[in-house]
Amino acid sequence: MNEQSGFSRAQIVLLYIVLTAAIASGISIFSSASTITRLLNTATDGLFLPILISLIVAFLLDPIVQYFEKEKIGRTKSIFIVYFLVSILLFVLFMIIGPQNLLGMMKSLKGDFPRYFGRAVDFFNIQLSTVQTHFPFVKDYDLVDKLRGSAEELVGLILAQTPKSAMRIGSLFLLVPLFSFFFLRDSRRIMRGLISLTPNRYFEMVLDIYDHVSWQLAHFIRGRIIEASIIGLVVWMGLSLTDIRYAPILGLIAGITNLVPYIGPIVGMIPGLIIALVDLGMGGQFWWILCVYLLIAQVILDNFILIPILISRVSNLHPLLVILAIVMGGKLYGVLGMIIGVPIASIINIIILEIRQYRRTFSPYIRIVSNRDGYG
Amino acid sequence: MNPFWSNIFRGSGYEATLAYFLSTVPIFSKLKKGELSFLESIVHVRNYKADEIVFEEGDIGSGMYAIRSGQVRIYTLDDHGHESEQATLDPGDFFGEVALTASRPRIASARTTEATVLVGLFRSDMLDAIRKHPAVSAKILLGLTRVISDRLHQSHLQVNELERERGQS
Repeated sequence: MNEQSGFSRAQIVLLYIVLTAAIASGISIFSSASTITRLLNTATDGLFLPILISLIVAFLLDPIVQYFEKEKIGRTKSIFIVYFLVSILLFVLFMIIGPQNLLGMMKSLKGDFPRYFGRAVDFFNIQLSTVQTHFPFVKDYDLVDKLRGSAEELVGLILAQTPKSAMRIGSLFLLVPLFSFFFLRDSRRIMRGLISLTPNRYFEMVLDIYDHVSWQLAHFIRGRIIEASIIGLVVWMGLSLTDIRYAPILGLIAGITNLVPYIGPIVGMIPGLIIALVDLGMGGQFWWILCVYLLIAQVILDNFILIPILISRVSNLHPLLVILAIVMGGKLYGVLGMIIGVPIASIINIIILEIRQYRRTFSPYIRIVSNRDGYG
Repeated sequence: MNPFWSNIFRGSGYEATLAYFLSTVPIFSKLKKGELSFLESIVHVRNYKADEIVFEEGDIGSGMYAIRSGQVRIYTLDDHGHESEQATLDPGDFFGEVALTASRPRIASARTTEATVLVGLFRSDMLDAIRKHPAVSAKILLGLTRVISDRLHQSHLQVNELERERGQS
């Protein structure tokens, strides 16, 4: 018996064993947990994009589905009607552009891409050399080589990923209509089920907040997508007036990059300008293309017409937050993450704003005032 | 009758359904069966324990409740925090209907006195229904108007009565 420590030997041994077992089980739980998260990661790897796109599609189609949904026509039936109409529209659009045209464009773009890139680098090189004659100390920086290296890396990456992404796009064509069908049909039921889990005391508040947030979100997403497609269309039209090649693809790029505020339009402009410089030279057409990109699409259409009509200023993000969202999105999901990072950040922003506004109207101070009003 | 046969020839149990219960609430009494089943799809059934607060005076109201089973006490608090009871409501009664049309702060608190099942109809669902099923919604809102205007009529008569009494004294 060891009276001084207050423990018997058996107790110490027991304590030792228990501690060891606890640590061991902790480690094993931790490792199995990380295994499980890794498994989950692998399982949900390809699902993020289809689910996101089908959510967006569901948001876009929802008003049309609601338009058809009446007393006599059920929700499911009206979804089928909308699907039918949309597929006809897509088919017609495809035929107008022409499958031959589209395929040829893809092929020639694959050949032309390195050429454009090389020329852009050369152009940059010339500019740099003039800079170097004026400012000799720049010579020490080996900018051109670095740029060329990273450009070649990028081209290699794109070429290597093409078959993989083709399969991905194929699965998207299968998954997105399926997912968005169920989102369209059952989203109400799913959300009702989730909301009914809230405690009684907060039920009304949660229901109201959900209503506000979903309205704002639908408005925001719809507005963004419509804005992007109008910009893309206008750029396509504007570029079609010149001799530039790949006008539809450039319009598409301009539309997609327009989803990212501040930085997006500039990035979306670069490919068009490079192609214009390489193919058409620094002539009147180049300035017209620049004008289409900057003045017509961005300043006049986007800033003065589309944004005030489609998107409320409330959902504006601080430029710092935009950059953070782009960087974080890029870290998580690459180029795709960069594009969708900002919209997701604005969605979170909208949710926070709505909840804050609701809490303000819910606050005790307002309660006192309203009581006074109620009783005169 | 033999329980075996009574089980087979039992009615469809319509009295036990939510739709039947809704038809007993005065606001929805004029709805047909199909309309009731639509109403069934937009209400929320909530279970409360005894002595649970449904809403408090000054909360932003967003809808009405009908009592399916149990009991609800409506009360207000005076300046010293004492409750003064306004009403005790039983199954089939409803309360909070003013908040269905516009978000007003609640003018009284509601608390269950026993285990209670409430059926809630809320403004956000109502607005949605107005867009998609205008005919049914119009009937529901007409029922609401009928009940509220009945009540207004009643209180108007009461005010007249009181004024006459004051004039006499």
